[in-house]
Amino acid sequence: MGINHPIDETLHHKDPPAGTTVSSLATPVIDLDRLEVRLGGRTVLDGLTGELRGNAIGLLGPNGAGKSTLINTLLGFHLPSRGTAKVFGMDAVRDRARIRQAIGYMPENDSFIGNMSGVHFVRYMAELSGLPSNEALERAHEALFYVGLGEVRYRKVSTYSLGMKQLIKLAQALAHGPHLLILDEPTNGLDPMARQRMIQTIQEIRKEGSIRMLISSHLLLDIDETCDEALILKNGRIAALCNIEEERRSHRNFIELETIGAADSLAEKMRELGCECACFPGGRVKIVMPDQIEARDLYTVAAGQGVQIRRLHQRRDSLEDIFLRAMDNDRDSETKREEQLVGL
Amino acid sequence: MSVYKHNYRAYTGRLTPLWTRVLVLARYGLAEVWSSKITIGLFTLSFLPTIVFIILIYLANNPIARALILHGNDARDLSINAMFFLVVLEIQCWAALAITAWIAPRLITFDLADNALPILLSHPISRFGYVLGKFAALFGSLSLVTWVPCLLLFVYQGYSSAQPWAAANLQIASGLLFGSILWILMLSILGLALSSWVKWRAVATGIIVAAVFVPSGVGGIITGVLRTKWGFLLNMPFVMTQLWRRMLGAPELMWRDETIPTAAIVIMLLLVCLLCAAMLNARIRAREVVRG
Repeated sequence: MGINHPIDETLHHKDPPAGTTVSSLATPVIDLDRLEVRLGGRTVLDGLTGELRGNAIGLLGPNGAGKSTLINTLLGFHLPSRGTAKVFGMDAVRDRARIRQAIGYMPENDSFIGNMSGVHFVRYMAELSGLPSNEALERAHEALFYVGLGEVRYRKVSTYSLGMKQLIKLAQALAHGPHLLILDEPTNGLDPMARQRMIQTIQEIRKEGSIRMLISSHLLLDIDETCDEALILKNGRIAALCNIEEERRSHRNFIELETIGAADSLAEKMRELGCECACFPGGRVKIVMPDQIEARDLYTVAAGQGVQIRRLHQRRDSLEDIFLRAMDNDRDSETKREEQLVGL
Repeated sequence: MSVYKHNYRAYTGRLTPLWTRVLVLARYGLAEVWSSKITIGLFTLSFLPTIVFIILIYLANNPIARALILHGNDARDLSINAMFFLVVLEIQCWAALAITAWIAPRLITFDLADNALPILLSHPISRFGYVLGKFAALFGSLSLVTWVPCLLLFVYQGYSSAQPWAAANLQIASGLLFGSILWILMLSILGLALSSWVKWRAVATGIIVAAVFVPSGVGGIITGVLRTKWGFLLNMPFVMTQLWRRMLGAPELMWRDETIPTAAIVIMLLLVCLLCAAMLNARIRAREVVRG
């Protein structure tokens, strides 16, 4: 006797018709509404609000920013102390089982059953996700070949190398055909070759299009190569939520300066002209200039402020810049908040 | 996905009902348990007393065979009654303890040693479902050496006896069934709870045996020093024997001041089960929260 789980009905209704992009769907992949999570008496996630609709969503932030806590909350491992988190419109608390049915999860740390063979382990996980025994075995073989572990699938998982252990976690996350794949630090501990292979696999899955992905990493390059949307967290708050491609397109005129002198005052003057600026230690300044501002104006302002421009580099905006700007904005807002508090 | 093409394809087939996922855990748990030759050896050994009891029932009900084998020796001790089945129940239940000490750690510690809980619990299975699956595997295995052989012996005695024996001794049957179930319920939850706190199987095995016998010693000290019978409540073999005796309707042989009221025994067993449930609740988690 076989029945389709309600999740399938829910999700099949939400599958995009041909020609529709995923981002245009009415239901976001992840919907956060003033989400607050307190663990051990500490606020780890502080009022997160936002909708994530990308095909591949990058979750960025420094260590301790709350990336893994957000993932654990979406999986229903942690309960929100306030607000809600939804995955495909399903509440992370009320519809926990349905969400888990729709998700493939690859945890950050080692997590497997060492005395099982690779194929036995993946089959077990697929059966737990609701696949009948025979289909689970078939899918386990396929998933292991897909991630590149076909030749070692009968070996015990405890004998696998670190790279293989990462891959078997990916295989078990894929075997049941999830609608959302959550990868927590997928390239952790991998050598450059293994990392490249993991990135390629993620890119292939993204290209295939039937799975949406949430990839958590503190490595900007990983997110840059695999994702089209990024949620940047800092201290449990959203520092930025952006479409990576759109950000790149909107910041074509991007200049990096190395200066000697009062870089802060130069940045201040440039902001008055309508530029976006970020200052870094060592007199480094990054400027996003609107179309009407030219390099001549930059030299004029620098001369006026007594700032020497020792190096000027014009280049494409990278995720690193978006990330650093987000961190910088967050720092600015914190400083302003502190100043307001002192003023009070 | 295809083995040869190495392409990903989404799964579009049917899914099993949610409640059957618990059975998946139980099935894989049983497979793990029965993959060990020691498990097979332990179960084989635990069936040996049953074979001896079958022979004794046969002899008790067959005067010719008795005369041939016992050569005219007195066979009055061979009466099949509540005392006989109390011995059967005791032997099988203590065999169940040995089996629990071996298989309960195999069900849990492999998952804990390699930190498999985050992956297991990220599937549509709750923490309660996880424990229930493991519990079902253990309870099912222990049933094979406790109430199943006990009731088979009862049925065999009913069949062998010339008189309408079974109908007259239904209390023995219910005592065997419920006495065994009570014991293996407690053993299962105790075995899982203690195994969930220890990553090494050998240590977990020792702790399970110790958890039954060490409190008996402590109870004996309390009884001796404070001159109170309530110390016996910690003596699991003692209280269970009393309980089984009452359930089977066997005569009480102990001194009157050593008897413990049934209600006190039940409360004590309930407290043990609650403690074990709390231990499992604290340990079976996908993520540990560090306080501070």
